[in-house]
Amino acid sequence: MLVSNMELGSDGDVTMNVNNNGDDGGGVDGFLARNIGKGSQRFFSQPVYVSEFTVRTERKSSSFPKFPKHFDSPILRMGGGSGDDVVTEGIESSKAEGGDAVTVNVRCSNGTKFSVQVSLESSVESFKSVLQQSCEIPAEQQRLIYKGRILKDDQTLKSYGLEAEHTVHLVRGFVSATSTPAGAPPITTRANTTPPVAGEAGSVEGGGIGLGASPFPGLGLGGLGGNGGMFGGGLPELEQMQQQLTQNPNMMREIMDLPLVQNLLNNPDVMHNMMMNNPQMREIIDRNPELGHMLNDPAILRQTMEAARNPELMREMMRNTDRAMSNIESSPEGFNMLRRMYENVQEPFLNATTMGGGGGGDTTNDLNSNPFAALLGAQGGQTRGQVANPTSTTTTGGDTTGSPAPNTNPLPNPWAAGGGGNQTNPGGIGRSPPPVGGLGGLGVPGLEGLFGGGGGGGITPDPNSMSQLMQNPAVSQMMQSLLSNPQYMNQILGMNPQMRSMLESNPQLRELMQNPDFIRQLTSPETMQQMMTLQQSLFSGRQPPTRETGQTGVATAGGPDNMGLDMLMNMFGGLGTGGFTMPNNSHVPPEELYATQLAQLQEMGFFDTRENLQALTATAGNVHAAVERLLGNLG
Amino acid sequence: MQQEMASEVSTVIVPRSFRLLEELERGEKGIGDGTVSYGMDDADDVYMQSWTGTIIGPSHTVHEGRIYQLKLFCCHEYPEKPPSVKFQSRINMSCVNQETGVVEPSLFPMLSDWQRDYTMEDILTQLKKEMTSPQNRKLTQPPEGNDEGRVDPKGLVLRCCIL
Repeated sequence: MLVSNMELGSDGDVTMNVNNNGDDGGGVDGFLARNIGKGSQRFFSQPVYVSEFTVRTERKSSSFPKFPKHFDSPILRMGGGSGDDVVTEGIESSKAEGGDAVTVNVRCSNGTKFSVQVSLESSVESFKSVLQQSCEIPAEQQRLIYKGRILKDDQTLKSYGLEAEHTVHLVRGFVSATSTPAGAPPITTRANTTPPVAGEAGSVEGGGIGLGASPFPGLGLGGLGGNGGMFGGGLPELEQMQQQLTQNPNMMREIMDLPLVQNLLNNPDVMHNMMMNNPQMREIIDRNPELGHMLNDPAILRQTMEAARNPELMREMMRNTDRAMSNIESSPEGFNMLRRMYENVQEPFLNATTMGGGGGGDTTNDLNSNPFAALLGAQGGQTRGQVANPTSTTTTGGDTTGSPAPNTNPLPNPWAAGGGGNQTNPGGIGRSPPPVGGLGGLGVPGLEGLFGGGGGGGITPDPNSMSQLMQNPAVSQMMQSLLSNPQYMNQILGMNPQMRSMLESNPQLRELMQNPDFIRQLTSPETMQQMMTLQQSLFSGRQPPTRETGQTGVATAGGPDNMGLDMLMNMFGGLGTGGFTMPNNSHVPPEELYATQLAQLQEMGFFDTRENLQALTATAGNVHAAVERLLGNLG
Repeated sequence: MQQEMASEVSTVIVPRSFRLLEELERGEKGIGDGTVSYGMDDADDVYMQSWTGTIIGPSHTVHEGRIYQLKLFCCHEYPEKPPSVKFQSRINMSCVNQETGVVEPSLFPMLSDWQRDYTMEDILTQLKKEMTSPQNRKLTQPPEGNDEGRVDPKGLVLRCCIL
C-alpha cells in the first residue's frame, strides 16, 4: 500500500492520500478481499516466495509498481512468515481512520485532474453531483468511465469495484446529440410535476423523460444526458414494470392517459429517437424499411398504444390477426410467406421487445431490459399474445417458446424466452393475493432473482438440479430462516438497486414485502413448487441438462446453513462460475477434476490436500470460494 | 523459479498474469495518457481474459463527445499473441467490421504485426489515433449507442453474482 502510493506520488500524476482513505479499513479490506481472488490466485502468494518476488520486482520496479500490495492478502497474514512485514504498515495506516470517504481521482477529458472525497457506498448519481462542485460540468452531462465501463447513475461506486486512489474518467456528454429530443425539457418538468405517480418517478430517477415512463421508474429512461447511452441508467426495472403493466390493464390505461405520455406519443421525434436508440429496433428497421415507416408513423403508434391500453381492443386485434393469418395460410404459398415474414420481422422484433435477462430472469432479473417491450405493447403483445393464446398459429407458438430458432438478428439473446415472460404472468397473478394483482409477479424477484440468477448465470439452466436444490431440506430451511428474518429481507431488497427503486416508487410493495404472512405465502413449498414448475416449463427445450451445477450448489448449501445472504450469494456465485469453468465432469475423481485449482491452493499455502479437495468440491472448483471456505474453517 | 511454477501449473502462465495485472493496475489508476480507460470485466476471472476498454472520441473529429466501448479478449497466449478487439459501440471506421464491430487485424497493423510489449492501452490509444486519421475523422457515424446485444454471457454471470 505504502509502496505503491509512494510510487504513484513520484509519478506526479496521482494525488497521494493514504491517510484519508478511511473507510474504516474498508477500502483496504475490500482490496484485500479482492486480492484473495485476484492477486493470490494469480500470484501464488505463498509466503516463501515473497522475498523472491519482491527482489525481482525491484529489479524491474517500474513495471510492477503495486507489487507488494498483492501480498497483503489475509492468506499471507495467516501464513505468517516474511509476508507479514510487508503487510502490516499498510493495514495499520488505513485502520487508524474512521469514516467513509475515500479519495477518488478524477481525470477530465481535457487532461485536468482533481481528486474528491466520496464514499464508495454512494451512488454514481450522487458522485456526479459531488463532482459538479469541482468541475464545470453539470451532473446530468457528466459521463463517468471507470475500467472501461460507463458508470450508470443507479449503481453504487462500489459495485463497479472502485477503490480508494483509483481514477475515474470524466467526459462531458452531449446531451443534445441523440438522447434528448427537442421536446425534452418541458417533458421532464412535467414528469416531475405530474401528480402523484409521475412526481415520484421524477424523484427516483432524477427526472428522466422517458417514454412514458415517468410514472414508473422502470420506464423512466432516467438520467438521460448524464449517462452513457440513454438506455444505460434507468432501465433495469423496465422488464418488471412491463410485467406489471401487462398484468394490470388499469394501470396501463392510467399511464396511457397521462398527458405526459400522450404528449410523448404524439411527438414523432421522441418516438423516432427512442426507436433509433435501441440497437435491436434499429437493426430491424434497417432491415425492413417498411416497418420503419410504420413505426415512425405516430398514428400507428397511437393505435398500438390504444390497443395496449384497452384489453378489449387488443383481443379484437389479435382475433383479427389470427383470422387474417389463417386466411393467408390457406392460400397457396401463403404459409411460406407467413413463415418468411415471421423470420424476418416478427422474431427479431420479439427479440427486441422481450430482451429479457438470464434464464429464469424473464420476470426477475432484467439485465437487458428494453423500453420497447412496454412501449410497443401491442405489437409485442400481439406476438406474445400469440404465444399465450392457444388458438394462435402453430408457427409462432412453436418457435418462440423453446430454443432459439434461426434468426437474422445479430447475436440474439440466447435466453430471450419470448413466451417465457408471458407464461409466467398467469402464475404471478395466481399465486399472489388478489389486491396485489400484478405485484405478485414483482414480489418474487427478490427471492426468485437469486434462483433466476443462479440458473441464468450457470448457463446450464437445469430444471432438475433446480428442483433438487429447492427440495433439499437444508436449502429450504435456509431460505426460510432467511426470509423469516425481516432484516435479511431488507438487506436483500436494499442490495438490489432495482428492487430498491421499485420499492421506493411503490410503498405498498414495500409493506407487502415486509409482511411476514405474505412472505410465508410466497415461500411456502407449494408456491415454490409452482414457481419451479413454471421455471421448468421455461427451461424445457433448452440445452440438455448438466447436473453438476445444481448438485454442487446443494453441497455447499448443505454446509453451515445459517450464514445467510453471503452464503447464498456465494452459492449462486459458485453455481455461475462453476458452470463456466467446469463442464460435465461428474464422473472424474475430484483430484483430477480440480488438479489446477489444487495446485493453485497449494501455491497459496494450503497444504492439506484432503481439505483443499473438500473445499474445491464444495465450491465446484471455484478457487476464490474455496479459499474463503478454507479460511472460514480455520478462523 | 518462474519456469518451475509455470510447468507445475500448466494453465496459468505466470508472466502473462504479471503482465495483465500490471495493465489492470494502470487501467484502474488511470496511469497513462488518460484518454482511454480499461479494466477487467470480472474481477474473479483467474485468467484475466475478458476486458472492457473505453475510448473517448478525440476532439475535432466526428468522434468528439462520443464514448466508444470495446471488448478485449486476451487468450492464454496473450502477450505473445494479440487480444481480439471488438467495438461494442457502433462506429464507422476503416479497420472495424461494420457488422460485428470487430477490429480486423488485417486492417489494423498493430494487431497483425503484434509485438509482445504492446499493451491493451497501446491498442486503445492507437485506435484513438486512428480515429483522427484523414480517412476516419470525417466518416459519418451511426447514431450513438451501445449494442447491448453484444453483451457476452460472462457479463451476465457477473451481474447475477452481484445480484
